[in-house]
Amino acid sequence: MSNLEIGIYSFPALLMLIFLRVPIGLAMFVTGFVGYYFVMGSTRLPLAQLKDLAYSTFSNYSLSIVPMFLLMGYFATLGGMSQALFKAAEGFLGHRKGGVAMAAIGACAGFGAICGSSLATAATMSRVALPELKRYGYEGGFSTATLAAGGTLGILIPPSVVLVIYAILTEQNIAKLFLAAFVPGVIAAIGYMIAISIYVRVNPGSAGVRPPVPMGARFRALWDVWPVLMVFIAVVGGIYGGIFTPTEGAAVGAFGTGIIALVNGGLTWRSLLDSFTDTARASAMIFFIVFGAAFYNLFLARTRVPQELSNWVVELGFAPITVLAVILLIYLLLGCFMDSLSMILLTIPIFFPVVSALDFGMSPEHVAIWFGILVLIVVEVGLITPPVGMNLFVINAMDPETPMVQTYRAVLYYVASDLVRVVLLVAFPAITLFLVPG
Amino acid sequence: MVGLHRIVLFVARAMALLGGLVLTVLVVITCLSILGRAANSALHSDLMMSLAPGLAQSLIDAGVGAVRGAYELVEAGMAFCIFAFLPFCTVTGGHASVDVFTNMLPRGVNRVLELLIAVILAVALVTVAVQLNEGLVRKMGSGQTSLLLEYPVWWAYAASLVGAVLAAITALYLACVRLVEIVTGRVIVPNALGADH
Repeated sequence: MSNLEIGIYSFPALLMLIFLRVPIGLAMFVTGFVGYYFVMGSTRLPLAQLKDLAYSTFSNYSLSIVPMFLLMGYFATLGGMSQALFKAAEGFLGHRKGGVAMAAIGACAGFGAICGSSLATAATMSRVALPELKRYGYEGGFSTATLAAGGTLGILIPPSVVLVIYAILTEQNIAKLFLAAFVPGVIAAIGYMIAISIYVRVNPGSAGVRPPVPMGARFRALWDVWPVLMVFIAVVGGIYGGIFTPTEGAAVGAFGTGIIALVNGGLTWRSLLDSFTDTARASAMIFFIVFGAAFYNLFLARTRVPQELSNWVVELGFAPITVLAVILLIYLLLGCFMDSLSMILLTIPIFFPVVSALDFGMSPEHVAIWFGILVLIVVEVGLITPPVGMNLFVINAMDPETPMVQTYRAVLYYVASDLVRVVLLVAFPAITLFLVPG
Repeated sequence: MVGLHRIVLFVARAMALLGGLVLTVLVVITCLSILGRAANSALHSDLMMSLAPGLAQSLIDAGVGAVRGAYELVEAGMAFCIFAFLPFCTVTGGHASVDVFTNMLPRGVNRVLELLIAVILAVALVTVAVQLNEGLVRKMGSGQTSLLLEYPVWWAYAASLVGAVLAAITALYLACVRLVEIVTGRVIVPNALGADH
């Protein structure tokens, strides 16, 4: 068997392991190790690689953003900011048709600005918004679907853990990627609100009416969200303005949200320990996958599969946009049963060289940023696509009275909104790139 | 067996909390470093230098500035954290996996799969720990130090090794649990709760 063949055969082997429920990081590690053995004829080299690989992966300065952002997210959930955000959004939007649901989306977007994780955003906002939605007569499945979709804004709107991983894998500038994600994130929130207004018109009786809030109270509620704004400006502004590195920004964010939680009384001894163990679990999970992927990619690079594949795709002579569409479609399919981070770590080392080799009429950096944002969106769609969208499960579990099928039905409006946005961003790269300098 | 499980869980949780504490310290060090750097450039500014040159200089001499080697501390500290987090993630079944397809398989098959996966995970984590130790021995021999603080690099490896070894032990323990479960037919440790992300 040639090295190239070994590399190609490793894909089905890897997928089979993953579908047999082998943890994804472990599956990549094992496939990489066995593949290495076949290529080198001995286990000496892969073992020698391991002497430093685990340590160097876990001590990677850029990656240390991840635990800090996770800690920041958990502190943010303790700080009572979800309550303040929802109140402010509800004041301005609540009295419209479907307005309380729109407010939930708006609050999710706001919370996404201080939290880099989808699940945390969805779960935190649900605790605040689900009871309110119920109070104003919003249909159960519509409510849960709204929050599941709103949660995806947590990752789309910077800071974003997935975007950090993409930046490291593709050696792109994290600050520029965050900046590029901003407008698509806002468009996502608006698109979801449009989906809501369509939903309540197609399904009359799915949403109740809420009396308007006086103007004075609206602005008072808006004033209460200033800590969120401050942390967001400090973190994203500081990173973008070059005042500090992304890792330092993450530290500032964790510190800031920690202080907010402390002042608001949300940070008790008990909840601090819970934040630590939650951060521990999520960080270890992510780093283990990153480690497995790093090892697998070392092996893959040796087989030259990524270069050969991209050469092959270029020689096929399809229009670049067709290739891009196929790749995005593969993500949508994979997203139906895999989590976003694993998908990115698994596929970017293979797809990114392909996309880079194609001519989209843009600078290589712009292609990398544009592709990153598109991938970020399509993998996030995976969180809300039936049957196994992670957000759907988590939110539905918080509302035992609502059958899963109802959530499935309502979430299709949001998935449709996502797809429209993807098409929009593919057709007009400028939407993503106009903020990003050269 | 339940008593043993409590011990394993306790140790794993203690390591996770210790890692969390170190993470918090790293956050604080990083923030202090940013503040120090900002203060330092303010003291170096023309305004301070013309207004109170003596004060500014003495503050700079007293060490107001970025924390020396903050970058290295974050790197070494983070490696310790992640290794310290691994046992807890492992014992609570926190590693991300795809269970849509295996859910369709009969219970007995799933049991066997669980055992196999636990064994592979144990082999992998033991390998990682053993090779990390090899790396440690090599760094000790080479006497390599970090760039600014000039601490021996093997210190960081040694700190990481604690978590790596505990993770390996945890995985070995879990493999034994799965074996006992198959033999006795009792469930001792419920399986994976799904992934957070």
